[in-house]
Amino acid sequence: MGETQRESFGVRRHVAAFQRCKAATCRRTPKPLTSWRSLLLFFLLPLLACQPQPPQVSARLSVAEALAGDAAGFERALAPRPFVFPPDHGAHPSFRNEWWYFTGNLEGQGQPFAGRRFGFQLTFFRTGLAPGDPARPSAWATHQLWMTHFALTDVENRRFWAFERFSRQALDLAGARAEPFRVHLLDWQATSEGGEIPPLRLEAAQDGVAIDFQLAPGKPIVLHGEGGLSRKSAEAGNASYYYSLPRLPARGTVTVAGRQVPVSGLAWLDREWSTSVLGAGQTGWDWLSLQLDDGTDLMFFELRSTEEAGRVRSGTLVRPDGTSRPLDLTQARWTTLDTWQSPKTGVTYPARIRLELPREGLDLTITPLLPDQELNLAFRYWEGAIEAEGTLASSAARGRGYLELTGY
Amino acid sequence: MSRLLARSGRRYLARHPWASGLAVLGVALGVAVYVAISLANGSARRAFDLSISAVTGRATHQLAAGSEGFPEGELVRLRRLFPSLPMAPLIEARVTSPTAPGRVLLLLGVDPLAEAPFRPFLAPGQASARDAGLDFAAFLTRPGAALLAADTAAELGLAAGEALPLGRDAGSAELTLVGTLAPTDAASRAALADLVVVDLATAQESLDRLGRLSRIDLLLPPGEAGAEAAARLAAALPPGLSLTPAAARAASLDEMTRAFRLNLTALSLLALLCGAFLIANTLLFTVVERREVFGALRALGVTRGELLRQVLAEAALIGGVGSLLGLLLGTAASRALVGLVARTVNDLYFALSVREVNLDPLVLTVGLALGLGTTLVAALPPALEATNTPPRAVMLRSLLEEKSRRAVAWAARLGAGGICLGAALFALPSKSLLLAFGAFFVLLLGCASLAPAATAAASRLLAAPAGRLFGVLGRIAVRGVETALSRTGAAIAALTMAVAMTVAVGIMIQSFRSTLIRWLEAVLVADLYVSSGQPGSADGGGRVTAATLGAVALLPGIDRVNTILVARTEVAGETAILHAVDLDRRGFRAFPFAAGDPSRIEADFQAGRAVLLSEPYAWRRGLGPGDELEIQSPTGLLRLPVAGVIYDYGSSQGAVILARPLFDRHWPTRGATALGLFLTPGADTDAVTRGVRAAAAGAGQALEVRPNRWIKESSLVIFDRTFRVTAVLRLLAGAVAFLGVLQALLALELERGREVAVLRAEGLTPKQVRWLVLGQTGFLGGVAGLLALPVGVLMAWIMVAVINRRSFGWTLALEVPPAALVQGVALALAAALAAGLYPAWRMARTRPAEALRGE
Amino acid sequence: MLDEVSATVAAGELAVLVGRSGSGKSTLLHLAGGLDLPDAGSVVVAGQDLPRLDEEGRSLFRRRHVGFVFQFFNLIPTLTVEENLLLPLELAGRMSGGEIAAALDLLAEVGLADRRGSFPDRLSGGEQQRVAVARALAHDPLLVLADEPTGNLDLDTGLEVLELLDRLTRKAGKTLLMVTHSPEVVGLADRVFHLAEGRLVEETSPAP
Repeated sequence: MGETQRESFGVRRHVAAFQRCKAATCRRTPKPLTSWRSLLLFFLLPLLACQPQPPQVSARLSVAEALAGDAAGFERALAPRPFVFPPDHGAHPSFRNEWWYFTGNLEGQGQPFAGRRFGFQLTFFRTGLAPGDPARPSAWATHQLWMTHFALTDVENRRFWAFERFSRQALDLAGARAEPFRVHLLDWQATSEGGEIPPLRLEAAQDGVAIDFQLAPGKPIVLHGEGGLSRKSAEAGNASYYYSLPRLPARGTVTVAGRQVPVSGLAWLDREWSTSVLGAGQTGWDWLSLQLDDGTDLMFFELRSTEEAGRVRSGTLVRPDGTSRPLDLTQARWTTLDTWQSPKTGVTYPARIRLELPREGLDLTITPLLPDQELNLAFRYWEGAIEAEGTLASSAARGRGYLELTGY
Repeated sequence: MSRLLARSGRRYLARHPWASGLAVLGVALGVAVYVAISLANGSARRAFDLSISAVTGRATHQLAAGSEGFPEGELVRLRRLFPSLPMAPLIEARVTSPTAPGRVLLLLGVDPLAEAPFRPFLAPGQASARDAGLDFAAFLTRPGAALLAADTAAELGLAAGEALPLGRDAGSAELTLVGTLAPTDAASRAALADLVVVDLATAQESLDRLGRLSRIDLLLPPGEAGAEAAARLAAALPPGLSLTPAAARAASLDEMTRAFRLNLTALSLLALLCGAFLIANTLLFTVVERREVFGALRALGVTRGELLRQVLAEAALIGGVGSLLGLLLGTAASRALVGLVARTVNDLYFALSVREVNLDPLVLTVGLALGLGTTLVAALPPALEATNTPPRAVMLRSLLEEKSRRAVAWAARLGAGGICLGAALFALPSKSLLLAFGAFFVLLLGCASLAPAATAAASRLLAAPAGRLFGVLGRIAVRGVETALSRTGAAIAALTMAVAMTVAVGIMIQSFRSTLIRWLEAVLVADLYVSSGQPGSADGGGRVTAATLGAVALLPGIDRVNTILVARTEVAGETAILHAVDLDRRGFRAFPFAAGDPSRIEADFQAGRAVLLSEPYAWRRGLGPGDELEIQSPTGLLRLPVAGVIYDYGSSQGAVILARPLFDRHWPTRGATALGLFLTPGADTDAVTRGVRAAAAGAGQALEVRPNRWIKESSLVIFDRTFRVTAVLRLLAGAVAFLGVLQALLALELERGREVAVLRAEGLTPKQVRWLVLGQTGFLGGVAGLLALPVGVLMAWIMVAVINRRSFGWTLALEVPPAALVQGVALALAAALAAGLYPAWRMARTRPAEALRGE
Repeated sequence: MLDEVSATVAAGELAVLVGRSGSGKSTLLHLAGGLDLPDAGSVVVAGQDLPRLDEEGRSLFRRRHVGFVFQFFNLIPTLTVEENLLLPLELAGRMSGGEIAAALDLLAEVGLADRRGSFPDRLSGGEQQRVAVARALAHDPLLVLADEPTGNLDLDTGLEVLELLDRLTRKAGKTLLMVTHSPEVVGLADRVFHLAEGRLVEETSPAP
């Protein structure tokens, strides 16, 4: 509703100007008309002050509460389930929310691009308004809405771009399909020749910024939490089904300012679907993915809460051979070392973070490659490329990854 | 300026409340009429702009096709081609609902997810990325879900969850109110008042337009980038779909009503002009009456400039007070008038609801400026007159009348000049309406300026006969008019002008009405007419479906069905109305041809080798038989010759008429806007009517079936309603003229006090004095009335042949009803005599001794 | 109407102009006040040759140096007695406290101090003419022109006004030029001019 708000301010300004000029007319009326100059002013002033303005329409919309959508009728993530691929790469419309979340760190290849670092994010969010399919004659009738975010970080030039698109799932404008795999919103898409992913092709472009990557097989699928059931709060059902492809060798091109740069690096895919996640008191979350130089990958998240009991942490360690286990989070510490305030929105985000997991011998300092990786879109959050340095299993460790900070 | 001088001027006005009151009233009426008309026009326009902006939002461009819209696949194709260009698909239709009787609502089908850049108030509140759109769940997922402005919902007594049935066709979908739009300011309230917002899916389903869209709104960047994007977009468009700037839509509809609004404004300025005569009259009177005072002041050393400023300041006072009063009156009157204007716009052009008067400060300021400006201009001659007062104590009356006689001669010369100039302006080969009005006013002023001279001539000519008829009193009365021209000249001019206008407007309306009646008689040849009775046929709504049409054609008692389908498309690069007609020979021959030979044209027309134009369309585009038209159709551009032009007083927009088989070859649209049924001889009209209704109901439609008499009568009702505004203005002009005469006579009374006293001293009875005064005013009114006749007929001819033609493109046959002429003279006489009653009574009451002592 | 008229009146004199109706008395008076212009010749008042001034200049000259008393009083009907009195002062831009007080003294001298708030139409003819006399002197002119000031008054009132006019002008040392029919005035005059057939003849002045 931010737009609406701004709009109504504009109108208010106009009204204020009108009132000012009405006041001017009133002040002048009782004066005796003694000189021609005062007569002239009498007529011209209101004319000068009251330039006609084009009408602008603004309104606040309210949909009756009782009629608004709720979770009724959707499935919930209550217990671990068997995952079946390729079907589970596709959509799960019996759950309300779902996403395909690609992030990755890349480096330029060949002269003169060698060493140029980039980060990217391409995310497809699906929201179900109601369970099931509508049985309606119009092709526009749907229960599925899509929102897609595409962001690119150009470290060398200290630039960050973020774009969003919305569409309903109708007339093939947006949607997800398991076999052959495709998730897309218009021409932003992730596709595969068959049901197996990877291999994958990622494509997105807007306003002269573009990515086009081939993702090759890296490590196998990793199930988070209890065999893929990731609990988000104490309440049963406030959980998601969550798996990742943590290490996807990426190769392709990044386009910035109309220039194509050949790149290669590592990408990460998060797949998650759920109906309800946040419990009472939970205000947001911090999420981290790390691809360490020694071949180990890490996922860690914390749901922040106003109450200590509402705070939920979880993490997964993926060994170089692809096997994984939950992280031991006993005595874990997630400490903000530095903050950064966004000049655009005024919001303050953690800028440097120290993660300590004593039982894992882990002590890492996480630093954003660029402080400003804020996505100031319809939904505002911080998500960006980072690097980490410290120790793991008591030996020196360093790596790259992505950090997501929401609810600030 | 001297304080004491100014004070003396103000006291003078205060001591002559009648004279100053009438002058103030004259200004006030003139300003009031102008302000009321302008506010009403402006409010209608603003309501229109607002309804457009609610619908257009911030779109810079629009993609639209003709009546039927275009396949939704086009949107998908274009979104894929231009994925980063903001596009909002829309479905628009005018609908009615039994829940909202008498209102035409605009059903707007939107995709909320595309609305954020265009109409942010229709975009989902994005509180959280992961459940964006959840607050829109009901709107998107419930079939028939609709949003209304909160006020509108309250007016209709609808609460969330309640049904809003659509009265489009019987059995069509019902909408359900799922939420409301709360406008955040007054302008938005007006803009949203008649909007029903639904999801695209609901729009398609409830309007039975599956697979089609009406429009795509676009947001192109400004400047060169935008131009380039527009060019690329235009290149990618299929035939039938065109790209237009959003402003063009508002502009074209604005253009449509421009002539109508200009006509109203011109009439309102006429009222102001009559007011100006009244002011000139008053001030002249005050100046003449104060000659001695001015003489004394001059002797005391007051300069000419000081006197000039003094008189102008008095005028400014009158003008200021009158204008302010006029603003109040006009604002009050506009509330009544806006209804009339909106009604007319509704009858003639498009559905528009104007609920409030928009007090545009610009209109108020211009009203004030016009009032004061007119007053000052009108005051200039009397002020100069005052300046020329010689610094002497006494001025001989005869000398004054001598000067005024010279002034009359000058006015006559100016008048003749004005008439010549006006005639020359009319002769210019132009279609400009503004120029026509300019010429009209110059001509009218010219005629009015001749009036005093004509009166003087009449007075000289008729004095002797009057003397023979009524004795010496008659002679005095008639001669008196000429000798008092300094007082009566302006009043005669004003009265002549007002009566001429009344006569002219009367003739114009009568001519128009007879032409319309003759046209209706010629065109309405079928026995029964059938339509859906719903608005918006040209936009794909309100049609008799093909199924109904098939069922009706099979009914017993029906000899033959003629049909017309109204559609919209682009012709020669501009939106135009198409009439696709399926006519038999009788129907075709009923067309009243303005150009072209029906017997030669018929075969070509019916075979689809040529089209016809309605007269307004042909006039506006300067087209005629032999010209070629480029008509955009879904299958591509059609190039067809114009075979003929037909009279059409049904709309001022004009239409391109083509044969139905030709239309069917190129357009997917089926059904018809209206059917004309010819019954078999002896068939029972009522039985057929019932049969048609039953057949329609069987096909799921509720139709209006009307005999041709009903159509004629309701057309005339609309016609008369349209001219009601004109009649009101005519009345006001008459009132101002009446005030002018009254005031001139009151001035005369003061002046003539001594003369009457002498007559009384010589033995005239009060009754005789009354007759003398009434005889004189009667003569005055009679002369003005007779002078007004030729002027009125001339004006009527101009209105009919020039102004009407340039405004609407219609040919009207000038018809001068004798009644209008008699009425004109009667009006002038009645106004003059009524205005004379009070002065006559006062003069007769004067005690001669007092008046004689006064000097 | 007037033909080769020549006369000189000195400051402080009371000159009377007599003659039959239509002999040009008023015209001569208007010439002296700059209201009319001669076809040829000069009218010198206080060293100013009036025909050489333009209309504006003559207006300004009048408001400074000339006071008028008319037969029909010619007070401004929409101004009160006091306002009528002050009008010449205001026109001359001399609304200082002293000047206003002096003008009001004049009103007291013509015996109408108690009527200062009245409008002229509430006054009798004699009273109006007394106000006119006071007005003619209010701005301290050099020359007072009176056009049959008693012509519209009864005998006693006329005498009263004449006496007042004579007393006030002489007291202030002003020149008074008066057109009159009444023989009483001729008795008071320093000089008497007779106008007949367009010619001016000075009568031998009677013994003062």
